[in-house]
Amino acid sequence: MRISEQATDDVLLRRAAKGDEDAFVVLYRRHQAGLYRFGLRMTGNAWASEEIVQDVFMTLMREPKKYDASRGALGAYLFGIARNRVLKHLERLPREVQLNEQNEDGSRGGSAVINAFTPAHWAEQQERMKQVRAAVHDLPAEFREAVVLCELEERSYEEAAQLAGCPIGTIRSRLHRGRALLLAKLEMLRDVPRRMGAAR
Amino acid sequence: MKCEEFEAIGLGLEREGSTSLKGEGAAERAAAIEHANSCARCAALQESWQEAQSELLALRLATQDASTPLRVEMRLRQEFRTRHRVVKARTTAVVASWVLAGAALVVGAVSLWNWKIAPRHAAPVAAKTANAIDRNATDQDALMADNSAGEFTLLPGSLPQETDGAAIMRVRLQRGALGALGLPVNQERAGEWIQVDLLVGEDGQPQAVRLPQ
Repeated sequence: MRISEQATDDVLLRRAAKGDEDAFVVLYRRHQAGLYRFGLRMTGNAWASEEIVQDVFMTLMREPKKYDASRGALGAYLFGIARNRVLKHLERLPREVQLNEQNEDGSRGGSAVINAFTPAHWAEQQERMKQVRAAVHDLPAEFREAVVLCELEERSYEEAAQLAGCPIGTIRSRLHRGRALLLAKLEMLRDVPRRMGAAR
Repeated sequence: MKCEEFEAIGLGLEREGSTSLKGEGAAERAAAIEHANSCARCAALQESWQEAQSELLALRLATQDASTPLRVEMRLRQEFRTRHRVVKARTTAVVASWVLAGAALVVGAVSLWNWKIAPRHAAPVAAKTANAIDRNATDQDALMADNSAGEFTLLPGSLPQETDGAAIMRVRLQRGALGALGLPVNQERAGEWIQVDLLVGEDGQPQAVRLPQ
């Protein structure tokens, strides 16, 4: 039977549990990108994010009955699994050296917003992007999560609180603290070239 | 509004947007703006945050199209197929086991039923024999009429299956001895010597008796 792309997650999961590969693939394609982006923004590592997404869907494949539709949407359930994997990854490897990410076609991953005006301006933007990325990845996990969810993924406080499994007040205070740490870090990173320039 | 409040609330109001704020939110925003206008430190902080926000936006745009490579989908598909092949084989094996168990149960039940009704078939024979004995006893005759046909007469307390593997012994004894075997005997003729065939079981006990032709 052809799988309708419009079929709900619950229907697709039930069919996948009975062995319908197409249903499983539709589910995967529907949710993989959001999970991958979250993993990438939290870990800064494309390989780790890839492993995390694979792990999430392997878990779904092994235990489809663990998902309870009455407790929330499948997307939130998958996100919860991804979040746990991300936090475990961050606990194991607190510091990752940022390697240049490459896509399958060889192009540089995470391509910057190119400023078409001057190469110097583009290079400066690339440098700033690297600094911001480094500053975000330097944050402690719970503050990093709040910043990623609210600032990078632009989720509301309610959504972010639900995904993080904490009250709204907690997510707001984590975001507040995360911003303060991020600002401090960015100031520090900006100050270094300024100081170096002044020294010359 | 104090600086701490501005740090906690003022920066966050930027992301909620001025147009969506109503009531308390709008009042908070107005208070934050007023504070920023009067506090140089908070104004600088707000400026820094706005700069950071634009950088975060650039970071967000840089990763917004990121997606898992195709190899992950291929690996998951492979795993899915393997898993469901195994599950199917396991299910078939489980169903087959249950069917075999059920068949074994049926065979066992039929065998038990057969074993249970077998003595009942022997019982009418024994009853018939007993009736014949009674008839003869009442007639005060020598032995059952069955014997004239050369068939063995089961002795009281013997079962037909106990005669399997039994040996036939021809003996000469007095009629009265048949009484010791449980058969009725005419007392007037108890001293007569007769020849009888005894069916002796494996335990050496006589199971049945007949008068030879």
